[in-house]
Amino acid sequence: MTVDLLHLLHQALFGGLAASGFGILFNFSWPDLRWCAASGALALATRTLGQEAGWSLEAASFAAAAAVGCAGQLLHARLGLGTNDLAVAGCIPMVPGLFAAEGILGLYALAAPHPDNPTATALTAMEFTLRVVFTIGAIGTGLSIATHILPNRDRRSASVGAGRPGRAVSPGSRRVRAT
Amino acid sequence: MKTDPALLERQELDQVAEAALCAARVLMEAGVRAKVVHEDCARIARGLGAEHVDLRSGYASLDITVTRGMSTITRMVEVGPLGVNYRLSHGIRALAQRIGDDGMTPTQALSEMTRLKQQTGRHAPWVVALAVAIACAAFGRLLGMDWAAFIPVAASAAIGQSVRHSLLRRGANVFVVAACVAFLASSLAELGARWAGSTTLDLAMIASVLLLVPGVPALDAQYDILDGHPTLGSARTVVVGMTLIFIATGVLIARAVLAVPQ
Repeated sequence: MTVDLLHLLHQALFGGLAASGFGILFNFSWPDLRWCAASGALALATRTLGQEAGWSLEAASFAAAAAVGCAGQLLHARLGLGTNDLAVAGCIPMVPGLFAAEGILGLYALAAPHPDNPTATALTAMEFTLRVVFTIGAIGTGLSIATHILPNRDRRSASVGAGRPGRAVSPGSRRVRAT
Repeated sequence: MKTDPALLERQELDQVAEAALCAARVLMEAGVRAKVVHEDCARIARGLGAEHVDLRSGYASLDITVTRGMSTITRMVEVGPLGVNYRLSHGIRALAQRIGDDGMTPTQALSEMTRLKQQTGRHAPWVVALAVAIACAAFGRLLGMDWAAFIPVAASAAIGQSVRHSLLRRGANVFVVAACVAFLASSLAELGARWAGSTTLDLAMIASVLLLVPGVPALDAQYDILDGHPTLGSARTVVVGMTLIFIATGVLIARAVLAVPQ
């Protein structure tokens, strides 16, 4: 595998810029923005490395999201409650907005009175739409795997629907299913 | 005159439910996923003295049932428009941890939440517009947009964000706002990028509307489904899909008006 270092740096730099820019939109505090930038840079660097290794966009996005999620969990002591949020902010530059727009525009083109080459248009629109679904799925799965596998101190003693340890739940209590 | 102890118990439990539900609502409106909302809501209710907590989270409302001894209270609250405000959500979550660890009275908890809602700052609108401008232009570079389109995309995204902020403050419908801003930003980006000699006009048009793509809700939807909240996750997915359709409509109209080849 040959790595184009300049391209890698370019992607990491603009990934960091995009993540910190959206971090301000999401109202992260100023000190947290550097972590947004680091998270975005790590995500884009990992995705670029994956793609240069010949992986599909979806596989590379999955690896990048998992890397960002794991890094966040490992830095939990330093980052505190915002660990998952910072990981999400870092993954935002990987959300395939271009594919989403192109997919829907392709479907619109297909609905025109006399579409040019409807079969090719349908295939292209379907491809873009599927890639959006799979890429967002890959990012969400990568982040979730890191969150669920690595220990997170946020989760202590906080499950809904259970009584306090050692105390009996009142027989009159009415359980409402969380949906 | 003696007050009935059972009535006092119910009144206090009612305040516990109100405080927990208030925190849950703020967290939902701040863009937090359902699992975290449930965890922090339960932590607050138990910290305030409830023995058993059940929460049901829908897209537009939340229901809670809290129990202590033989008393049970059920309350419901409407949830406002869902946005993303991580600074506020971190504040509420830190408060939930404090209540869970050290305890507090329901009245103190409610006043702390009110203080957090009022005092948690937001970045100035011009700072957000500038940040969104940089983010969209950087996003464009990641998509392969050329340098000539960088400034036009940044400028059109900044204008789009300012218009979006202004329309949403006036209570305009979020989907209509998405279509209008997509039309405005993509038109400006196309005209600007063409003037600047860019050869990636299509990418410039799309990059300028990426501020509207609901990335956080899309990931929240998936988290919710994975965490066992398929109803809320599905509702979020539908909203994400509708938003994307309205964004694409805005871009499509801009393409038609500017006679951009399809």
